[in-house]
Amino acid sequence: MAVSLSLEQAPPFAAPLRFFLTAPLFGMAAGLLVVVSGDEIFASRWTPAALALTHLVTVGFMLQVMIGALFQLLPVATGATMPRPLSIARFVHAALATGALLLAAAFLTHAALLFALAATALGASVLVFVAAAGWALSRIDTATASVRDIRRALFALTLTLALGLALAAGLAGVLELPLLQLVDIHLAWGLAGWGGLLLAGIAYIVVPMFQLTPAYPAWFERSYSLAALAFLLAWSALELAGRHPLAQLFAAATALGAGTLAAITLWLQTQSKRAKLDTTQQCWRFAMAVTIGGCVLWLLASALLRLGEARPQWMIESAAWSQFVDGSNWTLLFGVLILAGGFMTAINGMLYKIVPFLVWLHARNAARRVKAVPNMRQVLGEPLMLRQARAHFLACALLALAALWPSHFALLAGLALFVAQALLLANLLKATTVYRRYLQEPLA
Amino acid sequence: MATASIRDFMAGDHRHCDDLFAAVEAALAKGGADALTAAQVAFEAFRAAMEAHFGAEETQLFPAFEQATGMSSGPTAVMRGEHEQMRELMSAAAAALAAGEPDDYAGEAETLLILMQQHNVKEESILYPMCDRQIPAAAALVAGLGKTLGGGAQ
Repeated sequence: MAVSLSLEQAPPFAAPLRFFLTAPLFGMAAGLLVVVSGDEIFASRWTPAALALTHLVTVGFMLQVMIGALFQLLPVATGATMPRPLSIARFVHAALATGALLLAAAFLTHAALLFALAATALGASVLVFVAAAGWALSRIDTATASVRDIRRALFALTLTLALGLALAAGLAGVLELPLLQLVDIHLAWGLAGWGGLLLAGIAYIVVPMFQLTPAYPAWFERSYSLAALAFLLAWSALELAGRHPLAQLFAAATALGAGTLAAITLWLQTQSKRAKLDTTQQCWRFAMAVTIGGCVLWLLASALLRLGEARPQWMIESAAWSQFVDGSNWTLLFGVLILAGGFMTAINGMLYKIVPFLVWLHARNAARRVKAVPNMRQVLGEPLMLRQARAHFLACALLALAALWPSHFALLAGLALFVAQALLLANLLKATTVYRRYLQEPLA
Repeated sequence: MATASIRDFMAGDHRHCDDLFAAVEAALAKGGADALTAAQVAFEAFRAAMEAHFGAEETQLFPAFEQATGMSSGPTAVMRGEHEQMRELMSAAAAALAAGEPDDYAGEAETLLILMQQHNVKEESILYPMCDRQIPAAAALVAGLGKTLGGGAQ
């Protein structure tokens, strides 16, 4: 019976931890890239540096933590246990980190060989992970909304990867493809599909239970992931069939759905019974508010683009507005809001619960020491976490300003991102040091 | 409550314990001269509800599950182990309040909350549904649990 074993729960600490400690290094690399490239990086979403930056954040930081967290969460929250989690984690992590670096290098140099190597490494990493997670999930018979949405998110991740591999082949000159259309479909499946559905599946558990809020409305839990998948499928199919106006309708539905997820989450969080807003909760609220802003921006800008000449006269006459809507600025701002403000912030906040708790759990389960097991606040104090979170909020604000006025803010934004990520790494390392020191205490 | 499933009934009692946990934090956050005393009173109510819940599981629900499935070293053994971990954290939290150290309390309570909630997730999504499927006369068991836990779960 799989379940009796699955409740034996947690994989070795080293399985998820390697992902958590690597992610801030990619965040720091992203900050450095902004510093080095300067305002050039925000000239358009298509510059080599902007594409490299996007993938340092999405693959190097976001995917890294998401996969690491699933190594921990699948067995504990759903009862799905992977075979040999540590061996699989070692391989998935090594291939993912290597692949993310190679991909960033490929964008910066445009070398076909680097695209091929990056595609091989990332393909191997994601496919091995999806296969292991899918196998584990196929053996459990509990069908909670979370399990269902994690399964759907894994499907979206696989599709994102497939589109990414096709794009890499296109950029390497191996395949003739409609690259621009495929890029939008690739990013929609990555962000709204994989990222959005995973966030939803995890939020159904962690928001009500850890922040002591009411549960998500039943209608929402029942319908969100299916609706999001249906919108994404319809959008992709219509876009590829050349039915752009109709495709835009489903793209708008996707954005509206993601905004609704963020709005409901924020609304639930305002009803939290916890007396104090800790760092994690502040991160969640910031992330949800910024995500709502990002979705509203997308809907407004897309509507204005569709209106074309039918826009209000004052808007057409204003050079700044025309440049914002018709140029690259709004897409860059959207990217900053969703990636740095939304996903990175929520992930940052989650790490501050996951890592200190795992330190406590693994210390508690080790052989008894003379000293008491350090509690979560002793592992990592609230002031250190809050200081880092504020640095991250500042970095997000500066990145948003840099998307609008690159020449004034790009350098500052890059520095702020680097510092915030370095502080995150320092905090996580401090937590693991507490663990190592505890294990060196004399046995009781 | 004869029609409630084991899952719904016991999940309701989890939420009841959550409310009592939040009440301790609220008492501390209020501040003032008697905040610590109020928090201690609130904490004892929380601890009593937790102990009642553990007791109902360890003496009624888990034995019924073990008897129905023949699994005595399976999920219920893990759950009993986690009950022990939570009892230790509750003792440490109570000691911190008694020593007048709200910061230490916050650290123990945070750890307790996470442990408690990941324990609840496992029970509510895995163990309780198994109980509902495998224990014969589950309705009678729910009535018995209701007597032990009183009206708190509703």
